[in-house]
Amino acid sequence: MRTLILVILCCFGVATSTFAHAFVDHAVPAVGSTVHAAPVEVKIWFTEKLVLPFCELRVLDASGAEVDKRDKHLDQGNGELMIVSLPTLKPGKYIVSWRATSEDTHVTTGTFTFVFSP
Amino acid sequence: MKYLTICTLVAAAAGAILPRAAIAHGFEGDTFFPPTITADDPFSKDEFAVAITSFHQPAETGGILTRETDLGFGFNKEIFPKFALGISGAWSYQKTPGTDSVNAFQDFVVSTKYQLWENPEHRFILSIGGYWNVGGSGGRSIGVDSFSTFTPSIFLGKGMGDLPDSFNYLKPIVLTSVIGEVLPTKAAAPNSLSYAFAFEYNVGYLEQHVRDFGIPHPFRDMIPLVEVALDSPQNRGGGASTGMINPGILYENPLFQIGAEAVIPINHQSGPDVGFLVNVNIFIDDLMPKLFGHPLFGGHEPAIVSPGKSPK
Repeated sequence: MRTLILVILCCFGVATSTFAHAFVDHAVPAVGSTVHAAPVEVKIWFTEKLVLPFCELRVLDASGAEVDKRDKHLDQGNGELMIVSLPTLKPGKYIVSWRATSEDTHVTTGTFTFVFSP
Repeated sequence: MKYLTICTLVAAAAGAILPRAAIAHGFEGDTFFPPTITADDPFSKDEFAVAITSFHQPAETGGILTRETDLGFGFNKEIFPKFALGISGAWSYQKTPGTDSVNAFQDFVVSTKYQLWENPEHRFILSIGGYWNVGGSGGRSIGVDSFSTFTPSIFLGKGMGDLPDSFNYLKPIVLTSVIGEVLPTKAAAPNSLSYAFAFEYNVGYLEQHVRDFGIPHPFRDMIPLVEVALDSPQNRGGGASTGMINPGILYENPLFQIGAEAVIPINHQSGPDVGFLVNVNIFIDDLMPKLFGHPLFGGHEPAIVSPGKSPK
């Protein structure tokens, strides 16, 4: 048992830092929400800092066509916040599709919808 | 000792490798399959867990019940892509009122698992594997089997995230199942069919993918679940089926999972009353990404995936 404990402690000892998968903390527009003012961007706050080149953030209309401005970026002061700009949206249902790669290269993906109903 | 040897070898080998893309945990598409406690999940990922289980043994001695408390552990390591080896065991403490307690290791169990087929779009996974209950590796004082059993098994997992939007609130449901045939090496012992399944509702999935109700932490990090484990002897006077129904809850943290379940016997042969178990699963791939979260041999899956594709 003492050997086992030593092995485990050894493993923990070589860990340089702790990271984790990036999940959605919250978003604007909110997941599954209906908004009455046209959003000018989609913002997603993740639970981990992201590596932008390996991330995606796209907004699709109901037909599956991408409608965002293809300018995904991280907030300058917050590496956990990914943003993409939107043109003037028509009323309807939109799908937000994201892929998040955290600093330890763990990858998570997901989608959610929001409805723009002025 | 076998566990220590394997663990030491794994730690040594893992320490020699470089950081790579880490895609561990059990994911299919956007669905996280937590490491469940009773029904082994279908993923061949790096896992380390400890558990405490306490219950009354089904057999009575003169109407007096024996309480058994087990401190268990399990360690799985992905050796090749999608293929993992594991070992588990438990230190068992048994106490019958009016007698001295006995304690010793249960038989150790060696396991294998291979992720045979995955469909991320439909959050589905099929794996094959098996268990070797190493007869005689535990302590005789607690009555462990002196013979080994082999249990070839099939593992299934299905997330409901692909349901149409009209069933939005069913999307956080995850089902996993494992079915195995228990084959003893002792001729007089019965074969039996072993099956277990887990029914889960992932509150985090609801918040992240369906609708943000603003459920605060730690409640949005919880997964209520029911696990069922049954064993049906098939021959040689094996007796009635036995099993447990375990309702409980998992709490997910970035680095670990804590689970607690009631252990409810399905009949008198399974146990006289309700027990409980507490399980801590350490996400060693997140805690030590340089060591875990990727296979020892055979490369790794790329972190950069084509648009529209799943990371797995």
